[in-house]
Amino acid sequence: MNYVYHILIMICLYATLAQSLNLVVGYGGMLSLCHAAFYGLGAYIASLLMMQAHWPFFLSLATAVVVVGVLAWLVSIPAIRLHGDFFVLATLGFQVIVFAVLYNWVDVTRGPYGIPGVPRPSVFGISVTSQPAFLVLAIVAALVCCGVLWLLLSSPYGRTLQAVREDEIAAASLGKNVNAYKRSAFAWAGAIAAVPGVLFATYSSYIDPTSFGLEESIFVLCVLIIGGAGNFRGPVIGAIVLVLLPEVLRFLHIPDSIAANLRQILYGLALVLMMRLRPQGIAGKYAFD
Amino acid sequence: MIQFLANGFCKGAVIALVALGFGLIYTTTRVFHIAHAAIYVLGAYALYAALVLLKLPLPAAVGFGLLVAVIAGMLVDWTVYQPLAKRSASAAVVLISSLGVQIVFENLIALGFGNQTQILRAGIEKTFSFGSIILTQVQIAQAVVGILITGAFFLFLKHSRTGQLCRAISDDEILASVLGARVKRIRILVFALGSAFAAIGSMLVALDIGIDPHIGFSAVLTAAVACIIGGLRNFLAPAAGGVLLGLTQSLIVWRTSSKWEESVTFGILILFLLFRRQGLFGGVRRADERA
Repeated sequence: MNYVYHILIMICLYATLAQSLNLVVGYGGMLSLCHAAFYGLGAYIASLLMMQAHWPFFLSLATAVVVVGVLAWLVSIPAIRLHGDFFVLATLGFQVIVFAVLYNWVDVTRGPYGIPGVPRPSVFGISVTSQPAFLVLAIVAALVCCGVLWLLLSSPYGRTLQAVREDEIAAASLGKNVNAYKRSAFAWAGAIAAVPGVLFATYSSYIDPTSFGLEESIFVLCVLIIGGAGNFRGPVIGAIVLVLLPEVLRFLHIPDSIAANLRQILYGLALVLMMRLRPQGIAGKYAFD
Repeated sequence: MIQFLANGFCKGAVIALVALGFGLIYTTTRVFHIAHAAIYVLGAYALYAALVLLKLPLPAAVGFGLLVAVIAGMLVDWTVYQPLAKRSASAAVVLISSLGVQIVFENLIALGFGNQTQILRAGIEKTFSFGSIILTQVQIAQAVVGILITGAFFLFLKHSRTGQLCRAISDDEILASVLGARVKRIRILVFALGSAFAAIGSMLVALDIGIDPHIGFSAVLTAAVACIIGGLRNFLAPAAGGVLLGLTQSLIVWRTSSKWEESVTFGILILFLLFRRQGLFGGVRRADERA
């Protein structure tokens, strides 16, 4: 039963993560490959605050969200000066730099050794230790994050963001500050991505930089693209499909030595085929054009 | 100091080679060819297979590596990019497909050859000293090949009909095809040539420090950064960007440690984005033309 809970928790975390990336990619039309950096920064900041400064869970979570949001905003300033392909390259660069910092700044992050023993969260004095309780927490967090995104997107802000995606020059000519919209979308997406990061850290109780590298960023993008971008269903479906896929491979008794590579090959093939046959993903609305 | 500059130049020459290929493909076809990384690794592994496993002599093995890379490059274009180009898919769609291709190749190679680093040559390299600079045989080859190919590429672009057509297509593909340029044929050639550049670069690196299946991505990212800081729309600027990156990387590594190498690359990129977006040799363009 714990196995089922574990899978459901992972689906919740990735659905939230992909949902936040959706704001930038699906609604903002900016292909970003640094989401694992925000996710990881959230995890590291909250873990360090809880373990070194002994801050309570909610305060650490809130601080992580705000700090990562501000960081994402700062990153977007140089990045949005580029368009299209080279914007992607800039986000990739940020991903690489964050990974290098997490990996090499051993004094603070313990580098490749990672941080063991991150405490389980305590919510209103109740420590969330059992799997079902954590699942409830993950679901609530996912709903809150989606709620925030829904409020953003159903407001004039969300419509303007989509207008910027469709035609930047037209939006600018209507007096919209295009770059400000892009920057704030980036900041919100980064801030929300910190939430699953904090949950992941407290759930697995051990974090190390390899969980937040480029491969993870690509994976989150796969979740979004295969599920579909530009609406709320897509990322959820993507998370379900891509979290279950490796488990299916496990039941097919594929040896561990090749399972990791095989999984990557399947993701890669899925990307190529999706782009050829169905660029809007399984259930998405936005087809990247 | 001079030693580090010399090392940096050799390193930069290799980056320049990969960047020339990447830039050629990007400026002519507008494909952000992340799978260039796959071609890069494939060329090096073909060299490894021919040299170490089949025990062919070095020139034959190099030829084999080139052949494999060129064929693979053309195949990727034919099977993945051309159908997308036919339905005029957006740049993002092409980029994601390219990323997918790269992931598939990288992991296929890892399945076939293992994840570990393969060394192509055992023993200590022969070194040569020029005054206070000491360079290995392979490093000299890197610098010489880099300079020769950049020069040959310059002549090709300037004086050969095909090279001129490449430049024409990069300027305006539709206009070029109206005026009778065989865009498709040039496209195939561009991918063949770009892939050959990538393979030459990767083989020179493989002979120097060995290869593993995962080096391609960072090599191509560095090459893409070299293209930006050189200036887009200029076929030779990537070479200048590559050498500049090689030199700075080498200096920073000398001052600190090699673990910040990639961060330095992207730090330079961010500086350029903030203060000189058009790159070293790029012209200023209209807002709706900016890529």
